[in-house]
Amino acid sequence: MDSTEALHETAGAGAAEAHASDHSHPRYLLVWLWLALLTAAEVAVVGFTALPKSWIVIALLVMAVWKALLVALYFMHLRFEPLRVAVVAASPLPLAVLLVMVVLQEYS
Amino acid sequence: MEAHAMPYYGGRAPEKGLAVYTQKVGMWVFLCSEVMFFTGLIGSYIILRFGASETWPQPGEILNIPVTAINTFILICSSVTMVKAFAASEMGDKRGTRLYTLATAVIGAAFLGVQIYEYSELLGHGFGPWSGLYGSTFYTMTGFHGFHVFSGVVCMTWATVKAFRGGYDNGNYQGLEVLGLYWHFVDLVWIILFTIVYLI
Amino acid sequence: MATIVAEPTGIPVVEEHHEMSFIRKYIFSSDHKVIGIQFLFLSLFFLLVGGLLAMLMRWQLAWPGRPMPFGGLFPETMAPDGIMLPEFYISLVTMHGTFMVFFAIMLLLVGVYANYLIPLQIGAPDMAFPRLNMLSFWTAVPAGLIALASFAVEGGAAGAGWTSYAPLSGMPEYSGVSMGQQMWIVSLVLLGLSSILGSTNYITTVINMRAPGMLWTRMPLTVWALFITAILGLLAMPVLSGGLIMLLFDQTIGTHFFLPETGGQPLLWQHLFWFFGHPEVYILILPAMGFVSEILSAGSRKPVFGYKAMVGAIVAIAFLGFIVWGHHMFQSGMNPVLGTSFMVSTMVIAVPSAIKTFNWMGTMWRGNLHFHTPMLFAIGFVMLFVIGGLSGIFMASAPFDIFIHDTYFIVAHIHYVLFGGALFAIFAAIYYWFPKMFGRMMNDRWGKIHFALTFIFFNLAFFPMHTQGLAGMMRRLYDTSGYTHTADLQGTHLLITISAFALFATGVIFAINFFGSMFRGEKAPPNPWNATSLEWQTPSPPKHGNWEQAPVVYHGPHEYSHPDVTDKDWLAQNERPDVVSPAGH
Repeated sequence: MDSTEALHETAGAGAAEAHASDHSHPRYLLVWLWLALLTAAEVAVVGFTALPKSWIVIALLVMAVWKALLVALYFMHLRFEPLRVAVVAASPLPLAVLLVMVVLQEYS
Repeated sequence: MEAHAMPYYGGRAPEKGLAVYTQKVGMWVFLCSEVMFFTGLIGSYIILRFGASETWPQPGEILNIPVTAINTFILICSSVTMVKAFAASEMGDKRGTRLYTLATAVIGAAFLGVQIYEYSELLGHGFGPWSGLYGSTFYTMTGFHGFHVFSGVVCMTWATVKAFRGGYDNGNYQGLEVLGLYWHFVDLVWIILFTIVYLI
Repeated sequence: MATIVAEPTGIPVVEEHHEMSFIRKYIFSSDHKVIGIQFLFLSLFFLLVGGLLAMLMRWQLAWPGRPMPFGGLFPETMAPDGIMLPEFYISLVTMHGTFMVFFAIMLLLVGVYANYLIPLQIGAPDMAFPRLNMLSFWTAVPAGLIALASFAVEGGAAGAGWTSYAPLSGMPEYSGVSMGQQMWIVSLVLLGLSSILGSTNYITTVINMRAPGMLWTRMPLTVWALFITAILGLLAMPVLSGGLIMLLFDQTIGTHFFLPETGGQPLLWQHLFWFFGHPEVYILILPAMGFVSEILSAGSRKPVFGYKAMVGAIVAIAFLGFIVWGHHMFQSGMNPVLGTSFMVSTMVIAVPSAIKTFNWMGTMWRGNLHFHTPMLFAIGFVMLFVIGGLSGIFMASAPFDIFIHDTYFIVAHIHYVLFGGALFAIFAAIYYWFPKMFGRMMNDRWGKIHFALTFIFFNLAFFPMHTQGLAGMMRRLYDTSGYTHTADLQGTHLLITISAFALFATGVIFAINFFGSMFRGEKAPPNPWNATSLEWQTPSPPKHGNWEQAPVVYHGPHEYSHPDVTDKDWLAQNERPDVVSPAGH
């Protein structure tokens, strides 16, 4: 009994796959516009504002992460992939953060 | 004859796995390793910079921000043509596939051209990889990013030839999608590099 | 010639063409079995080279300053009049570590068996990307040759230890080696690339290419171990590559990453190296644990005790392996707060390791034990791994580690886990899967003699190193007669050297058995061990494409002595339930 169920479980995946690519494409030019605007905003924050350095850094990091997410979610379609693809894609990030944060402790 | 056409695996539904086709899984897995490679380089930059924050040059003091901002824009444009090429291929737009693939290769090469110009200007002013930690980290990170763009341009040139021969027609879009993942990843790394190396 | 055609669903279909040229079949082959066997020969060659280097070191340690036999063969820059120079000795230390860790053990475990076993055990016709697999092998070959060639260049081979700590490794003036050190880096960058390509392939294959019914919970423990190992390699190797490239730039184009006089951070190299290096030690032991689990189960005619706990332990060890790297750096001047957290996380690893050890004993407990050669080596693995694992817990404790840091206690520990652990499991695996690879059995009597002698001389060679280390014998020390406290250890050094020579000599028994059996061995049946996993359900050796009929999996991986099966004591994973019908449970 157990084993027949298992077979169905594995065979069913093909159907989901066939429809995965049927999503209509997002408006890539809009994403492109956002990326260009954010780049301009980044340069503007550095060049034309007199904010304290820490505010500038925070603003720049927020915009960089925002741009990175736009690329990952829309250009790399992570929004439209099964969740587990996103899990695979994000899996090295905790390690990356860990490495940098731990080694930075050398200065504390 | 029927048995010979599909000898071992023919027509069987794929294993559950990630529920996406194998080449895409492979590219994502490979990109995980690329993330860790750039973590090594960018992480070292962050760590070295924290240790020498007093002596670190201000943004724009050595590097040319306007030129790189334009270069960033160029790379973003290549990403959008890349995704357009994939979309065209998937929707059966043969002309679009060819044009966007070609555009991606050309714009990617343009990015490299600007980077070579930037390097030669900097070296002309005596700023090289031997110029302290700043020079060491700058050239290593942007150099390896540039190497990735170069590899991407080589692949895109090959893909352009394939596109003009009709290799991505008739729903055969997987190659462009997988190559696109790599291309967008390289773009994404540049977004991070531009912010933390040039602007912060 | 076989071409792999990707269907839209992404499943490669192997189209068999019957005539393949010799070069496509055996040299530039994309068949995972041929690549696995190519890796086997390559890594056994480097095992021999690494062993020879160790013999030279042992000569110097037992008889400091005495001319070596055949010492005249070495050039003046290495050993004038056959007497070894200190520079040559430190190159030997460095290259012995490098060859053994990267080119012998890692390639034997991962290169050979991940390639050979993953597709066979999950019921796939080949790897997900066969040509990438071929590229992975043909990147490893030049990597090894470059490392080997570095002995011949001016200044000799790399001499900063296998860990190549900066700044010693960062400036040619410091170590006296320039070209050799750079070749060492290039070699390891290439090997890293090979390993990343391989890992990508293994992970993708396990995720997407499993046969119908081969659920995650039905994968043999070998596949689980190799899968998790591939993840470790995928995420750890690139960090080393990044660090190596920075080190290369420090040496060649004048960057300052790791050189303190210009603001660089030598500790950063240690962090990058060990962020890779600690997952690496699990790369070197997890597959061994997988083989041993499977061989103990087959040799005891019992299912693996606690299959899910075993899988959980593999995952836990791999996860913990990423957050403990600092325990190699207790003496480095690292922030003490970090030292404490690394100490605690390291000790936690003892828990999953103990789970595995007890489960191995649980597997054998009241089993119908068959003491064939693979089983003996597997039992040997468990015994020696326990010793190595226990000394590992000693070292995890920072106060004790400060005492034994950089002594022979460390050398003893690493050899107990890498020789007594990994290499014993590799011998077990070679004896166990040899019939599948070459279609002939290895000689069991000579195998048993090989086991007994290896076990005896291994312990004689490495156990005394614990006491030497506690007595203060420094690692990488060229001449023991220089200090009073080490001069007293000369007698033990002599014992170790003689045992090491004997240990090396037992390798000859293995080599003769290996190559002799390949041509003269008894013909192997498809399933000589009456084992359950899929690779035994196809001819020995399997044909190109592996299966005559694509396998369908109905059972767990280690179904021995199933109560409902009366005519035999094993149940293959692909035996249909309506043919052999175990009642549901």
